[in-house]
Amino acid sequence: MIKNWIIKFAFFLHESKRYKNIKQLFSDFLQNSDFAYKKYFDSFMILLILISIGILVYEVKYPVSVWIEFFDIYLVTFIFLVEYIGRVWVYNDWHTQVIHEYNKAEFLNTPFSLWSPTKKVLKVKLSYLVTPSAIIDLLAILPAYRPLRVLRIFVLFRVFKLLRYTKSIHQFVEVLATKRFELFTLLLLLLFIVVTAGIAIYVLEQKDNPNINTLFDAIYWALITMSTVGYGDISPVTVEGRVVSMLIIISGIAMISFVTSIIVSAFSEKLDELKEHRVIEDMNKHKAFMIICGYGQMTRIFLREHLPAHQKYVIIEEDKERVEEAIKEGYNVIHEDASRYGVLKRFNTEYTKITLLVLTGSDISNIYIILNAKSLSDNIKIIARANNEQVAKKCKIAGANHVILPNMVANKMLLTAINQPVMYRAIYAILTGQHLAQLDEMSVKDYPLLSGKKIEEIDFKKYKLLLIGFHSGKEQKFMFNPPATCCVDEEDVLLFMGREVSIEHFISMYKGKKYV
Amino acid sequence: MSNHQKAFMFGYSKNSAFVAQELQKERLHLSIILSERASYEEAKADGYVDISLIDMTDDEALEQLAIQEDDHIICMMEDNHLNVFLTLSLHALFPHTTILALSDSPHTTQKLQMAGASKIIDLYQVSANRLHNILNKPVTTKLIERLFSPEEDFSFKEMVIPKDSFLDKVMVDDFDFSQHKIILVGMIDLRLSEEFVFITSGLEHRFDSGDTIVCIGYNDDLEAFEKYITRVKGDEK
Repeated sequence: MIKNWIIKFAFFLHESKRYKNIKQLFSDFLQNSDFAYKKYFDSFMILLILISIGILVYEVKYPVSVWIEFFDIYLVTFIFLVEYIGRVWVYNDWHTQVIHEYNKAEFLNTPFSLWSPTKKVLKVKLSYLVTPSAIIDLLAILPAYRPLRVLRIFVLFRVFKLLRYTKSIHQFVEVLATKRFELFTLLLLLLFIVVTAGIAIYVLEQKDNPNINTLFDAIYWALITMSTVGYGDISPVTVEGRVVSMLIIISGIAMISFVTSIIVSAFSEKLDELKEHRVIEDMNKHKAFMIICGYGQMTRIFLREHLPAHQKYVIIEEDKERVEEAIKEGYNVIHEDASRYGVLKRFNTEYTKITLLVLTGSDISNIYIILNAKSLSDNIKIIARANNEQVAKKCKIAGANHVILPNMVANKMLLTAINQPVMYRAIYAILTGQHLAQLDEMSVKDYPLLSGKKIEEIDFKKYKLLLIGFHSGKEQKFMFNPPATCCVDEEDVLLFMGREVSIEHFISMYKGKKYV
Repeated sequence: MSNHQKAFMFGYSKNSAFVAQELQKERLHLSIILSERASYEEAKADGYVDISLIDMTDDEALEQLAIQEDDHIICMMEDNHLNVFLTLSLHALFPHTTILALSDSPHTTQKLQMAGASKIIDLYQVSANRLHNILNKPVTTKLIERLFSPEEDFSFKEMVIPKDSFLDKVMVDDFDFSQHKIILVGMIDLRLSEEFVFITSGLEHRFDSGDTIVCIGYNDDLEAFEKYITRVKGDEK
């Protein structure tokens, strides 16, 4: 009977959208670094930790008011407890395991036991509970128990808890973890030297030196000497003891140099990776950004001449030399192969609007990148470069929204230059976006004063502009050369040609009027 | 285009193969000049007859090509250094002939310009601008696609104002192109210079016989207008 109720409850949870949404929300806040609001949660937790530590330190010497104690003992601890339970809860799903095992039992016509899925889920949860971060979380709750003053030492774990929320400390620990073998070996060596030197000084000086009474004193002296701190509370008094001192001081200097070089090399090895990680994280914070694959000529010209200052972008380039060039130019760049699935996956394709410019010189890579991106999300807008029409077709099939054929455009211009040399200049100016004749467009909804006006009233000629036509929002078609009496409305987009200064003047005039 | 005009294309790569193919359709005599045996064989295999294999660094060999003022030189060598060197040599030998060159960077464009190329097409500048249009100007992008797609019935056209045309001595502002469903984009006003000027440049212009005008519109309207401007004064209605 109870088993049936539990199975029904598991199915209820499985089907409940509300439950799923709530759990997802918790998971996003606690675990998803791509979640836009996680930073607010992290900041709040950091603030709580700092306040809590502040109170505990202040309390050592001065009495604190009741409400501060209440805040620290109950509220902060309660929030930490909720967070701890939340993390355990979102770590895995109990109901899915129950349903999975139940369905399996039904299919195989075997008896179903609730204990089996529960055991599996508990095992997984337990594996989380013994992770260092979960242990720190748990220990950070303990200082709340005031009757036992010794528990206050666990306030240190609240400081450790900061690791969860401050990425730089977290990254520092991660970098050190990559050299754990080397550091562990050095630690063993250090222990060996300290213990050996400690025993030696104990044997040599225990009788002569009044400050060395126990082996602990000797080992304490060895460590203090080796670390080059040298408090001076214990010092050797015999010649043999001084010789041991000299030896461990030299070993100590060597040891410090070793540790420093290991840490420095760990950082220099990981520096690029850390920087790239930071660049990606920064990108993921924005609602919309652009990923440019390939730092070739087209990318360079595009960035130099057409990139608006507010546009967020990142370049992914495989070639190290090109990456260095891009860095010199001051661009955001990542040294990676964009065709690798894991590279694009690091970007937040779920919450942000991504435009992917696939501009590498290789058609094969370009198609692979397009497929890669489309397999991640259908919402990614892709503009790709192709070297010929056949490849352009393949890019379209792969999912590119637009395909650019640099050779084809250039060749068409060459032909125009030969066949229609006068027209060439007009076409060249339009295609290259030259200052003397640019094609530009203006969405009427951004300039409300234009709405409802007749073409003749706008008087393009006065601004030395040439109206080519407008895209009618209502009819969803382009109206070429519209009559002067034609009215434009909010949904229309005007298309005109003129010198850059004329366009800027026209836009500033209507922008100006917009705010009057 | 006159039949005796020739186009001398230097280099034969994937790019130039496309240009060569299109040029053949234009009743223009095409002469391909190469310096490597492999590309010579390739061009031959593609069906071209007038192919010369010469040392492009040798001025005498270039001079023997007997390029005329009316001809077109197209420098499409894959090696940028050689392309610039060739442009310079050809400009020195045939200073009045139009030299067209393909470039792949602003630096090369500048060098080709200094070397004497009349028209330089920067492969990536056009593409970068198109990329900018796709991202920021969707309507402009569509219009440009329409203008350059061979399947579309919408394009640019240049036409020369014939002698005795009713347009002769008419001020640009006094003529309404919209009644012919076309737009005047720019012109060569021979009275002022031989340079092409956009109609939006702000200068007052007058049509004269011999001036070249560039219009934009539907192909049928453009063709109808080309015929229309042959009418003499008084007969234009």
